[in-house]
Amino acid sequence: MVAIEARNLSKRYGDVDAVSDLSFSINKGEIVGFLGPNGAGKTTTMRMLTGFLPATDGSAYIAGHEIFEEPIAARRAIGYLPETPPLYPEMTVLGYLAFVAKIKDVPRSESKDAVDRALLRCGLGEVRRRVIRDLSKGFRQRVGLAQAIVHDPPVLILDEPTVGLDPIQIREIRSLISELASPEQGEARHTVILSTHILNEVEAICERIILINQGRKALDQPLAEVVAGGQSLEEVFARAIARDEVSSDEAPEPTSVEPAP
Amino acid sequence: MRHLLAIAQRELGSLFVSPVAYVVLTLWSVLAGTFFLSSLISFDQRLAEASRYGAEEYLAQMNLNDHLIMPFYGSMWIVLLFLLPAVSMGLFANEKANGTDELLYTSPIRIWEIVAGKFLAGFAFVFLMTAIVGFFAGILFVYGEPEVGKTLTGLLGLLLVSFAYMAVGALASSLTRNQLIAFVLTMVALLVIGLMLPFIVEIGVGGDSGGRGIGIGPTVRYISTAPHFETLLSGVVDTVDLVYFAVVVAICAVLSKAALESVRWR
Repeated sequence: MVAIEARNLSKRYGDVDAVSDLSFSINKGEIVGFLGPNGAGKTTTMRMLTGFLPATDGSAYIAGHEIFEEPIAARRAIGYLPETPPLYPEMTVLGYLAFVAKIKDVPRSESKDAVDRALLRCGLGEVRRRVIRDLSKGFRQRVGLAQAIVHDPPVLILDEPTVGLDPIQIREIRSLISELASPEQGEARHTVILSTHILNEVEAICERIILINQGRKALDQPLAEVVAGGQSLEEVFARAIARDEVSSDEAPEPTSVEPAP
Repeated sequence: MRHLLAIAQRELGSLFVSPVAYVVLTLWSVLAGTFFLSSLISFDQRLAEASRYGAEEYLAQMNLNDHLIMPFYGSMWIVLLFLLPAVSMGLFANEKANGTDELLYTSPIRIWEIVAGKFLAGFAFVFLMTAIVGFFAGILFVYGEPEVGKTLTGLLGLLLVSFAYMAVGALASSLTRNQLIAFVLTMVALLVIGLMLPFIVEIGVGGDSGGRGIGIGPTVRYISTAPHFETLLSGVVDTVDLVYFAVVVAICAVLSKAALESVRWR
């Protein structure tokens, strides 16, 4: 079953193509690494998938719901960690997650359990009553992740989930992400797409990579196939991008620019 | 409804853990006390003067409502023009500055629920401000006998004018991510619709005087909040004024929603 599908997604800012004609589909339970150099259009794509940005062209489906035709049903299925964690600095961790649970339609009776589970999973138990402003960057990132999973969504869209964390925290977040997608009582529950430009992160947790460059898809393969030829991911990455640049020299394309968040 | 209340509750909570709410409420209370006292003293002086000169007719006309409570409410209305923008400036601008708009717009809630929640929070805050003014007016009931109806109608006027100004402030806040810009924009807008428009009419641009007018006077007057507020202040509840305030709030709500949506469609 397809959990995330992009059909010919394009985003233009004036004359600039941030993303053009991007299509892919991700099956339920897959963990996909969304790769690309800075400014390739990763954040723009994720924002289109979540419905934050309307696509200039094309459509996106989350758990079978078109993001702009059935926005409420589609968004209910999404847990989204934006590039900058969307936190209210003056709130406590507990208060913030309770608020998110409310706006994500977690039933009142289950709200407390949902918040407790998210706190536990993200290792936030000890800071639950602290004000978010006073937390370290690592903890804030975890609160951002807790926010994305509090309503136990089938689809997780994570924009650079490990940025700014120390090695230990990175390892914890990675194992958390793997855990979210691993079969639970015989059934794969979460589908994860995460953007990153840290290649060994992809190798550590992803089963498949989608690589984009200048707003276009450059590669879409299972990780096992990509590295099967004995080459490192870094080489594949560099070659895919170089190939693209050669082709864009032949037929000049407008450069892709990722807008400031 | 649950979403709307969640948004409103969170907004109020954030206002009250930030210094803004306390600074505004403290200033508002201090100024309310000051203006109440000065209205009281001036009322007392006029009373004393009138009795000294034996102006019986004038004395007979003087009452707590028209000569103390009304000027007091009027002063607080002026204070409102300057203090309210500090409360409204963050309503939407803060979400954009925090990046939390990305959370709200990707949650299964509708934009009108966000707008209504924000407005509700703003209204609750100005309700508290009006209640403080009401408290001072209430003191008079201990020592004198003002008319209850007139006192409350004036208070209603102050509340409605606050609602309208809060709506204008929310709209300004929806247009920018910078709180300072929202603050200035709101203050300018309030000074124009609150003070400048009636002034323009008075100096005769509107055509009530001298026959050189083009008849826009009544329209300009109608747009301004001042005449509607004054009617309520004088103790008259006219449907026209109630409709006016409702329309201002509705227009601002619709425009705020459009502003929030347009940012993403650009």
